[in-house]
Amino acid sequence: MSTVSYDAVIVGGGLAGLTAALRLARSGRKVAVIAKGDPACCLSTGCIDILSGPSGALAALETLPAEHPYRLAGSAKLAEALNFFMETMSSAGLTYHGTATANRKIMTPIGTAKTTGLVPESMRAAWPVAGEPINLVSFTRLKDFFPSYIQARHSNVNLNVFDAGVTSTLAIATRLEEDAFRGHFIDWLASLKLPDGNLYLPAVLGLEEHATVLGEIKATVKREVCEIPTLPPSLPGQRLFRRLKRTLQEQGVDFYWGKEIASIERQKGGAIEAVTLKKSGRSARVEGRAFILASGAFVSGGLYAEQSGNVIETVFNLPAHAPHDRETWFKPGFFERGHGIEAAGVRVDEAFKPLETDYPNLWACGSVLAFSEITKHQCGHGLAIVTGYAAAKSCEEFLA
Amino acid sequence: MSAEFEHCIRCTLCVENCPVFKVNPAYPGPKQAGPDSERFRLSGEGSVDEWIKLCTQCKRCEVACPYGVNPAETILKAQLKYSDEHGKAPVNLLFANNHYLGILGSLFAPIANLTTKLWITKKFFNLTGIATYLSFPKFYFRSLSKGRGTKNKGGQPKVVFFHGCFLNNNQPALGRAMIELLTGLGIEVVIPRQICCGLPALGNGDKATARRMAKKNTRILTGYIDKGYDVIYACTSCGLTLMHDYPGILEIPGADKLAENVYNIHEYILKLIEDGQIAPEFQPVKRHIAYHVPCHLRAAGQGYPAANLLRRIPELKLTVLDDNCCGLSGSYGFKLKNAPTAIKLGQAAAKAITDSGAEAFISDCGACRMQLGHFSKLPALDPSEILLEALGKAR
Repeated sequence: MSTVSYDAVIVGGGLAGLTAALRLARSGRKVAVIAKGDPACCLSTGCIDILSGPSGALAALETLPAEHPYRLAGSAKLAEALNFFMETMSSAGLTYHGTATANRKIMTPIGTAKTTGLVPESMRAAWPVAGEPINLVSFTRLKDFFPSYIQARHSNVNLNVFDAGVTSTLAIATRLEEDAFRGHFIDWLASLKLPDGNLYLPAVLGLEEHATVLGEIKATVKREVCEIPTLPPSLPGQRLFRRLKRTLQEQGVDFYWGKEIASIERQKGGAIEAVTLKKSGRSARVEGRAFILASGAFVSGGLYAEQSGNVIETVFNLPAHAPHDRETWFKPGFFERGHGIEAAGVRVDEAFKPLETDYPNLWACGSVLAFSEITKHQCGHGLAIVTGYAAAKSCEEFLA
Repeated sequence: MSAEFEHCIRCTLCVENCPVFKVNPAYPGPKQAGPDSERFRLSGEGSVDEWIKLCTQCKRCEVACPYGVNPAETILKAQLKYSDEHGKAPVNLLFANNHYLGILGSLFAPIANLTTKLWITKKFFNLTGIATYLSFPKFYFRSLSKGRGTKNKGGQPKVVFFHGCFLNNNQPALGRAMIELLTGLGIEVVIPRQICCGLPALGNGDKATARRMAKKNTRILTGYIDKGYDVIYACTSCGLTLMHDYPGILEIPGADKLAENVYNIHEYILKLIEDGQIAPEFQPVKRHIAYHVPCHLRAAGQGYPAANLLRRIPELKLTVLDDNCCGLSGSYGFKLKNAPTAIKLGQAAAKAITDSGAEAFISDCGACRMQLGHFSKLPALDPSEILLEALGKAR
């Protein structure tokens, strides 16, 4: 068996785990991230939903129940964490806009408005002011994107369709990164002589070369260019994930990707000493002074619900909270807000240490936390960033 | 019957990570090629989808999948089934037997090198379905296998070196440098008799040949393991085949023992340092190096041991790049039909390297080095070469 040691080992490679890892790496810690696969943020809109509410996230914070992870972190840490995220992304070449004091709207592929907190540059103005024409460009046979939904909800849509020769968002984005193809597309855009009003497109404006693609199109059409998030493959989600991951790699963070944790080793006093990874052949052993759990909720596999109604935390077997009566787990309608099961997860204190456990060197963050109720409060990515940051801060105090 | 594919929830993370899907519209991506189509294959129907051969087996889908679905393995089985039912093209037969080509190449090295450069040979290659955008790798008369035996006898610990075909025939000097790196750290190194790991055969639809090679290697290498040796490999694709495919799809008896005791060369050095068995003193290396992480290193799930090691070298600036497949994928890009895909992917991966501003790049896979050296026009090195430089033994 081969062992590598770190100051901190982060279990989970989603937005929460990556934020925690970055916060620790920035203070000079040797950090490893272990993930069994790519995170849900790759599939997301790339927007940061902080907390829904008419007057912005910060104002809505007070209305949350006292046990919500945001309340445990507090408004000061929330602001600090979001600043940390915005600064990180700007220096990574993917600028975000927005604040915790006001929510904003962006266009969805079915023409409705999505409320969110922070948005990438390409969604900065992605909701029309009343009466403004919508110049919509779509692509021939693009899968899962039907402009007629948007036309049905908005009366003033000026639709043009371009044949990119390929039919997936990822393939179009890849073609748009080729100079010749991009030039051809931009010439076509210029020939449209669009009326006033912003330009809307499905989110296909490049992956690695996004800034170039967006910049050149903007320079040609001389107006805001707005991306509409699509079903996966999601380019805005991939951009967010890749930039963040690369920032971590620049900080010297090691990634152990694609394998599950097979076992954990504990010292006499209860502290976690190492985790072992399942891999082809021999196991790899990753040793750490501190561990942060950021394994996600049910879909990511951080939590598991047994037939009996018991909810399990799958990595460290921490006590997990779940509504007692299985009958209360789900509301009758799928799209109803506030399914009971959403409150399930690991309960933590204000330092993000799991309650009722004897692990002195473990913290938890992200959607594995109890009472997060992410879809009810619309706080997914925001919660990941804020709790990841807060857990890392506590962990840093321990390491110091 | 394994049913991992039933765990697929259609999240599309595999598709987002598929290099071929990005650039070749003829390939529907790992979700459709893997779990979605598998249900139909199970019904015992004949293979009809020729696009199944477009998968490069980079295994990025498997690394991305959080649900343990293993799309690449499902696809590999479908590729083998397709080959069995539809027969193999001459180009597949040729590349499946890469090992013997290598022997011939190095035996007649000067003639082979001259021949592969000729216009008429290239024309002939194209006619047989072989792409020539990339120069054929150069052969050397003094291959590694001609220097079999024990180096630094009595050193500790003791390792047996699986060099693979590319290092053996096409970069033997690099192979000798790696051996020097190991012996310089006090390790006894044995170069044993060995045959191709079998991956080219597996990738060209010839499971029987792959099994024959795998059995032979397993017998030789486990013999050394029984005598207290650890097995070290240099090429990440050979390594993944030894660890993953021998006990897995090839079902080789005794392969579990081999898989338990086989290490990537950098993983092994890192392990010795972390265990306190060696303490090499790295001198500053004032260079900016980009690290193109091979897909098959990612797939091994051991992290990036070379990156971890190189970060210990003072003044070395290392840019880790792990989002691109080089596109060559062993013999994949050498096939005329695949060349457009391979070229597009190679150009994108090379651009990531040149955009980083690095003066050279490293990769622990011979195919990645060949392909990206061509497209980036930068020196293509193995991480071992930087380690040697830091130890004052630059090649």
